[in-house]
Order: sequence, then C-alpha cells, then structure tokens
Amino acid sequence: MKETVKPSDMAKPSECLCHIEPGDLSPLPPPYEDFNEKAIPPLNPEKVKHIETSLDDTVAIGIPKPANREEEEELVRRFLSGLKKLFEKENNWTFLQPLLLSMEHCTKCQTCSDACPVYEMSGKKDIHRPMFRAEVLRRIYNKYLKPGGKITAKLTGDIDLNWTTIARLAELSYRCTLCRRCATVCPIGVDNGLINHEIRKLFSQEMGIAPKEIHEKGTSQQLRVGSSTGMNPLAAKDSVDFIQEEMEEITGWKVDIPWDVEGADILLLHNAGEMLAWPENVGAFAIIFQAAGLSWTLSSETVGYDAVNYGLWYDDVQFSRVAVRHAEIARRLKVKKIVMGECGHAHKALTVIADRLLTGDLNIPRESAMVTLEKIVLGGKLKFDPRRNDFPVTLHDPCNFVRAMGIVEPQRRILRKIAPRFREMTPHGVDNYCCGGGSGFAIMSPYNFEAWRNLVSSRKKFLQILNAFQGEPAEIPKYVCAPCSNCKGAIRDIINFYHAEERSRIYYGGLVELIVNAMADMKKPLIQFGDDPSWKA
Amino acid sequence: MGFYLLSYLCILVFFLAAGCHVYRQWTLPMHVRWELYPVQHEVSGKLVHGGSYMEDWNWWEKEQRSSFLNELKYMVPEILFIRGLWKENRKLWWVSFPFHFGLYLMIATFGLLVLHAFSVLPGGAPPAGGALRTLLSGMTVLTGWVGLILGVTGSAGMFFRRLIDPELRDYSSFVDYFNIVFIFLFFLFAFLACLFTDPLLEGAKAYTFGLLTGGDSLNAYAPAQTFLGGGTIVFASLLVAYVPLTHMSHMFMKYFFYHNVKWDDAPNRRGGPVEAAVLKNLALKPTWKAKHVEADGRKSWQEIASSAPKEMK
Ligand code: SF4
Ligand code: SF4
Repeated sequence: MKETVKPSDMAKPSECLCHIEPGDLSPLPPPYEDFNEKAIPPLNPEKVKHIETSLDDTVAIGIPKPANREEEEELVRRFLSGLKKLFEKENNWTFLQPLLLSMEHCTKCQTCSDACPVYEMSGKKDIHRPMFRAEVLRRIYNKYLKPGGKITAKLTGDIDLNWTTIARLAELSYRCTLCRRCATVCPIGVDNGLINHEIRKLFSQEMGIAPKEIHEKGTSQQLRVGSSTGMNPLAAKDSVDFIQEEMEEITGWKVDIPWDVEGADILLLHNAGEMLAWPENVGAFAIIFQAAGLSWTLSSETVGYDAVNYGLWYDDVQFSRVAVRHAEIARRLKVKKIVMGECGHAHKALTVIADRLLTGDLNIPRESAMVTLEKIVLGGKLKFDPRRNDFPVTLHDPCNFVRAMGIVEPQRRILRKIAPRFREMTPHGVDNYCCGGGSGFAIMSPYNFEAWRNLVSSRKKFLQILNAFQGEPAEIPKYVCAPCSNCKGAIRDIINFYHAEERSRIYYGGLVELIVNAMADMKKPLIQFGDDPSWKA
Repeated sequence: MGFYLLSYLCILVFFLAAGCHVYRQWTLPMHVRWELYPVQHEVSGKLVHGGSYMEDWNWWEKEQRSSFLNELKYMVPEILFIRGLWKENRKLWWVSFPFHFGLYLMIATFGLLVLHAFSVLPGGAPPAGGALRTLLSGMTVLTGWVGLILGVTGSAGMFFRRLIDPELRDYSSFVDYFNIVFIFLFFLFAFLACLFTDPLLEGAKAYTFGLLTGGDSLNAYAPAQTFLGGGTIVFASLLVAYVPLTHMSHMFMKYFFYHNVKWDDAPNRRGGPVEAAVLKNLALKPTWKAKHVEADGRKSWQEIASSAPKEMK
C-alpha cells in the first residue's frame, strides 16, 4: 500500500521522507520496459556525509548540515525573517499580489495534482503534489507569522518548524520545474509553481541557499565573466569563429557572423550554451538572417552574448541585474529590437518578466525568434524544398514561451511549411508537458540528480515523444524539434539515458536547423542522423 | 429584533471584510507580469490556440486589441457551471457544482426577496395581486427550492467526498470540515423550514421586508417564531459574515486571480501608466540579508539592479 506523507511529516526526523522503489514509477512501453524496474541510484554515503539528504533519494542543492543546535536555531530565525519579507512590498513588490492570492485561497481540491508531470511520473508520491510544498509554507506562515497562529494552527493545519522542515523544504523547491501546468487547471487560479518560485527566492535572497549551478556558476559567473558557461568575451568570439568555419564545411555556405554592429536593426541574443553544445544552431541562425538580408548583430560585451537569466528561477535581484545588463547593451548598440534566440527561459525573462523592470530607453522592444523566423520563412524571399525534411518531426513546446508568453503558432506555421511529416505531441501548445529540465534542472547534475531528472521529471516528455512517433518503424530516423536550449539539453539527456537513438532512432535539434536543412540554396544537409545525412539520395 | 440585529451585524462584517480584501488588492504595488496562456481576452484568432499579441512581428507598433466578448464567453460558464472543474476533476464536479449552484441560487433568491420587498415598500402592507409581485413570488419559490435541494445534496456530497477520498482527507483540517458543515447546516435548516413551515417562502419575504424596514413586519407570520425558521436566519446571517473571513472569499477574489495575474498582459510602454508604477517600485528599498543581494535598507531596487554584486557565492 502506498505510504502517505502529510505536510506535517516534513518536521519529523527520518532518514528519507519519500523513497521511490523500483516499479513505483509510471511504466514505459516497449522497447523500454527494462527501465521500469530502475530506481534512482543510491547516494554515495561518503559524499553526502555533511549535507542534508532527508527529503528523498536525491539532492539538488546540497545544503551543509548545521554544526550545532545554535546554528540550526539561527537558520530557523533567518528562514522566518525571509518568509516575512516575502510579504512586504519593499522586498517583494515583484510578486506580492500573486503570492498573496495563491497563499490565501487554495481549497485543497487536488485538481492540480493530476496535471503535474512530476507527481504523476513519480508514482504519485505525496511530496510531489503541487500543493504539498505550498501547504507547508502556508502552514508555517499561518502558525509562526500570523497573530494567534499557534492557536489557530490546531484548527487550520499544524506543522512544526525546525531545521529539518526547512532543509527539506529547500530541497523540495528543486523538485518542481516551475512549468505552471498545475496553475492552468486550478479552478481558483492558485499558482503552486509561483509559490515554489517564492520559496526558492526566500532561500536565496535571505539565506544565500541556492544550487551552485544556477547561482555561483550561473548568474554570478555570468555577471562576472560574461556567461554562465564560463566563456569570457574572447572565448565567445573564438567559438563563433569556429562555428563560421564549421558551417561552411558542413553546408558549403559562407557564413559571416557580425559582432557589435552599432545601429543594426536586431541584437540577436543566444543562449551561450548553444555556442558550445549546439554550434550548428548559432550557425543556422546566421545563415537564415544572412540569406534574408537582415541587419543584425551579436554583442561581445560581457553578458551580451549570453541570453540566459537564471535569476528567473530563484532570485529577483540576480534576475534584475542580468536583465538590466542585457538592456543596457542593446541600448549602447542602438538596435531597434532584441530578438531572443532559441532559449525559452531567456524569452520569458527579458520579454515578459523584465517588462516591468525596464524603463525609459532601457525598454527596447523584444521579439521572439519564432516570430522573426516565421516572417522570413513565410515571407517568400527564401526558397524551400520541404522534401529535404522527409522524416517524422514532432515539436516540443517550451513552457516559458508557450504557456507563459502565448507564442504558440509561429513555430507551427514554419514546420507545416518545411516539415511535411510534422505531427503534434499529445497534449501540446499551452497544455504541453515540460521537458523535465525546466527551472534549472537541465543544467543541474549534482550527486545523482541527473538520474532523478531522467527517471522522474523528464519521464512524461519521453513518453510523449514515444507516442508522437508511434507506428513509425524503429529503423527510420525521427526528429524532436525543441526550440529551446534548456529543453534541448533535457531531451538530449533522456535520449541518451533511455538509449532512444539506438532503439528507436530518435534524434533532436532546434528549429533553425530544420529551416536551413530545407533551404533550396543549401548544397549539403545540415542535419545528420548519426553518420547518415538527412537528405535522401 | 435580536434576529435583525444579528443579520445587520453580519452584513456589516461581510462588507467590511470584503472591502478590506478588495482595498488591499487595489493598493498592492504593481507586480511583474506573470500571465498564463490562454489569456481569455485575446482576440479570437489568437485565443483559439492560446496565443498572444507577442506572436505578431513588431507587435509594439500595433495597437493592442482585446475582446471582452471572449472574456465573457469564458467567464460565464466558468462562474455558473464551474467548467474548469468539469474538465479537470469530474468526480469533484458532481458535488461541487450543486454546492456552488445552490449557493448562487440562494443569492439569487435573496435578490428576488429584496426586489419583492421593494415592490411592497411604499404602503408597508401588500396590496393584493400585481403581475410583478406574482412573478417575483413564483421565481422566488423556484430559485429557493431548487437552490435548497442542490445546496443540501451538494454540501453533503462535498462533506463525504472530503471524508472518504484519501486525497482530500489527508490535507483537510478541522476548519475545512467545519466550513462545509456550517454551510450544510444552513441549507438543511432552510430546507426543513421551507418543507415544514414555509413552502411558499412567505416567511422569508416577511423577514427580508423587515430587514429593509428596520423590523416592520410584512404579515403576521415571522419565521423566527419557529425553531427551523430561527435557525435558518442565524445560519444564513453567520454565513454571510463568515465567507469573506475564509478562503471561501474566492467567490469574489477570483476576479483578481484572473484580471490581475493570469490575464494581466498589459505591456509597459514608455511614458505610460505601467512605467510610472514600475518607477515607483524601483524606488523601494529592500532589506534581504543574503550577501550577494548587498541590500542595506538604503539602496533602492534600481541601484541594486544596476550594480554587479561583489559577493559571488
Ligand atoms: S492549488 Fe488549486 S487545484 Fe490545487 S488544491 Fe489548491 S485549489 Fe485545488
Ligand atoms: S509547476 Fe509544474 S512541476 Fe511544479 S508543481 Fe506545478 S505542474 Fe508540477
């Protein structure tokens, strides 16, 4: 029988509050049944000796254990002071209204649970219910910060507050991808993804607790060096030089990528991870923009060549700093608009969230590359031969620009024109499922977290991909189009983890690669399936 | 007179508490955008797939269009029939819908009773007949009875669902049960009062008339004369005061969920009202304690956002 875990159990000492047994996870179809008995590999006891691990089978942050009781008590005090600040306009004007509404009106109807891919795929573990962590926060807030809370808690829902509760809550806030699918189905409008986001902020902004990959090596490194990849401007330029050469070699097309062109119409912002992991994406953008005759530029200024803004996931202050830097760079270049490359969270960060942060001449128009590309592809200036993309294609919808920005159709109109065997996933568009790598997960791999991601948070996406290609022979290559760097990273990892390339010939890539692959002027294909070219002889 | 005083007091509490909720929402600082698509006021061409104005090339050069009709098309079935729950959580809908619709019909019945009271106000005593009053009386009986039957079954169903379904039970507190039982008792008393003493809601008419006139009686019969009638008045009055003090205030707070968060897609245009609100926010001075924030209570958000942190960990 399934063991029930209640919010109040968060305070009770135990080695592991929620354990996933082999066979608990949602089953996968053939030929992947061998993964159904897989469990998350155990943490190495030596490696986790000094960190908090009492939530579940994995670790995302790795919070050091407090040395003594005084330290624990001090951390509890810090937590409460941070919690109080979440409800103050000086400290949290950014999200105060949505937070208050969501904190006060949940009816505990559980409608949101079934919408959450993490909950469903985990084998319906209670701690992964979207409202679970919200309810923990709500109870702490009601009991410890509201007048008379200690008495009313007996009636409204009790919880004890100790270091165990807090350490678990911090970890638990990194088991949700902030995809906000739960919020779309809540009959009230409560947004548990948002509450989770606020929990992360409390830990980061008050207690300095955040995963290394998104803070120290993420926003901090980006602000200091220029990119969360660690690339400084010189290294970025080198990478792009290399991309130009590579693209010419692969496609026979001479690519010229412009840097720091003052007065260009467009500043194109790429996720710098593309330059390292998927250089053909950067190259394909250049080919398309060049062929369309656009006036555009990249920026080599620190931060200007990396569109990412990990602050979106955990820290409003770091978020604001990165967004302001992006806008300042665009202002200095005097561009007419910023075009966001294939990076979902960067889209949402700079286009939507920073919209109420950037004022005056920093408020430079921002546009999604999906829109710019649609204009080019459907504009008639470039010629396409869709038969070149004669393989099954499905589209992944990045939550950050689909559900959070309503950019749904441009990428589809492109695919309908250039990919004759395009088919949708079920469900798709604003009802899509997250890739499982959202909110930083795609770049986080401490301890055994990557295995947790592949087995749990990305599992639903993997099932969706398999379903989309159902009926296609195993031996023909298939393409998952994921127009977002983080999603692409997560999808790459699931393909590798489940050996989907070997077993079902599933490949992945961005949208621009498909566009270039279908351009009539191309002499050679850009997309390869292993050693095979994507064009049929 | 005691019953009337209780009702007046409870109505006052309702308006004060609801007013506080609404006032607080109005005075909160403008937050960053956090809309969620589909945004229901989008024009039909976009709404059909959940798209936004940001799907348009150079969208900022165009005038932003929205459709109130589309919003209504969504809101009306959502409010009246709880369509979202029908779609996403059918087994709960079967009890939640009668419960909510029963409450709506109670509100409608009260509205009709007030109209009826107005229709007889000038003379104090009801002149016989009158097409309007007959219509109002008929509608009152209809909405009242249907509402009570739905309400009794819906609230009982909600109670048992919460009790039986482990998904709900494990997260329910005393207050969650108390709220439903409270509403159930109101429906039950009102239902029994109608069944045994007041099938045509004459007592309800008399009491509502009394509410408007400071206790003048409409006729010889007063509902408070019976145990069931008195209980109904007490429960109804207390319920009116209680709803805005609990999460049940979502009945009207949903407006803010939708209009101020989920569908708030207003872009920031230079020199516009959004920009003015943003500038006000940027002048606020945070006190977050983590080292990398570098807040000291004197630096504003604007200053902090324009600075690079010295502390990198
Ligand atoms: S967040 Fe919404 S859907 Fe989830 S339990 Fe609360 S009210 Fe129900
Ligand atoms: S935001 Fe996504 S991952 Fe997080 S609780 Fe909601 S549905 Fe689950």
